[in-house]
Amino acid sequence: MSYVTVSFPQLVLSLGLMALAMAVSWQNRLGLEKDLLVGTFRAAVQLFAVGLLLTILFRNEHPASVLGLIAVMVVVAGWTAARRIAHGPGTAVLFGYATLSVLASGVLVLIPVFAFVIRPARWYEARFLVPISGMILSNAMNGVALVFERVFASIHDDVAAVEQLLSLGATPRQAVDRHTRAAMNAALRPTINGLLTVGLVALPGMMTGQIVSGTAPDQAVRYQLVIMYQLVAAAAVSGALAARFARSLSFNLRQQLRTFEDRRVE
Amino acid sequence: MPPPLEARRLRKSYQGRVLLDGIDLALGPATITTLGGPSGGGKTTLLRILAQLSDPDEGQVLIDGTDARTLFPPAARRRIALVPQGPVMFEGTVLDNVRTGPRLAGQELPEEAARALIVRAGLDPGFLTQNARALSGGEKLRVAVARALAVHPEVWLLDEPTAALDAERADRVVGLLRELAAAGSPLLVVTHDARALERLGGRHLWLAEGQLREVATA
Repeated sequence: MSYVTVSFPQLVLSLGLMALAMAVSWQNRLGLEKDLLVGTFRAAVQLFAVGLLLTILFRNEHPASVLGLIAVMVVVAGWTAARRIAHGPGTAVLFGYATLSVLASGVLVLIPVFAFVIRPARWYEARFLVPISGMILSNAMNGVALVFERVFASIHDDVAAVEQLLSLGATPRQAVDRHTRAAMNAALRPTINGLLTVGLVALPGMMTGQIVSGTAPDQAVRYQLVIMYQLVAAAAVSGALAARFARSLSFNLRQQLRTFEDRRVE
Repeated sequence: MPPPLEARRLRKSYQGRVLLDGIDLALGPATITTLGGPSGGGKTTLLRILAQLSDPDEGQVLIDGTDARTLFPPAARRRIALVPQGPVMFEGTVLDNVRTGPRLAGQELPEEAARALIVRAGLDPGFLTQNARALSGGEKLRVAVARALAVHPEVWLLDEPTAALDAERADRVVGLLRELAAAGSPLLVVTHDARALERLGGRHLWLAEGQLREVATA
């Protein structure tokens, strides 16, 4: 493999790009200078920390440490997906369901790919498992967050119609079918759009990274395709699970619609 | 024979206010009961509890003598038609709306049957193919009645059915409600419309400070 190293002074030079963005903000009175400054340093600190963690992990590769890191990723994804959902039962209740949705879709999608498609020498090889899991889990996380947000908000906006359907004998599933289907559709849409435009508008990050660091484009493309198919499957499974959970949480045992306060302000 | 719908000692509080404080109510076959009271006084809450969309804190609702909590909720709700104030129309035509209830039960209502229902609810047959959401308030109310008729309810609960209607349209709605009662179903109608009250007749109840009392019987 041949790749061009980035020295520390060269990295510092790239801060000039952030200075450019801040200058644009200042010139146009966007008031984003402080956010940009914080973002510049947060991104650096977070990425260096992850880099350090990965370096340690690669040197002491062990199934427990690799799976431990992935478990942390799952929990953080679940927590993030469960936050700031308006008109839902609250983060404390949603957290478990979100984590389960992310975990189930991750397991369902990652295991067969690592068992039959990518097949690294050791199944727990961190340089494959960690970055690929990260992509899959973050896609699942976004899907779950979107489904929760959409299902609870759209039911809240449509209480009268949902209750009239219940009055006509609808089961909870029938009464909110429209809401759960629209939410799942919205959750899958960005990933499908990604499939349709990939390579035409932008080269995906992982493929770009592989090509830059010396992998043959043909191989980078194959990897990327496997990843993209995984992303679609993960979005579909996590979205479907989240929609099912959101529906159950929207009704009580007597199949009456529950109403939740707006919890966005936490 | 037990009444089609009965409430026993219903209690319900909302945000620290007692809305229903031990309400007893029986709706006998083919009777009309009207209900008035101050706004925010619990009338809509009572209708929602009777319609199985909400549960009381205490007390029970009996449908034909059976505790409603022992019934499968969708089946119990089909027996009790609730026509809320300003009913929401589902997307599509009047025909789509009238077909909703049977469709939920996996049946397809023939167009002829749907036409007969909207005529019974007082609409011209030509309305069948119209966009339900583009109708006037009075027409929507009639579609809501036809939509409920399609599931053969045993009891009718209506919330301010003549509100925002002119006198002539309100009279026609009152005529329709009297026909529903004459066909054997009990009706509970929340209304403050003096003219409708007079023309509906029956028992008139007043709900205030959690208590239900009988004001007059025609």
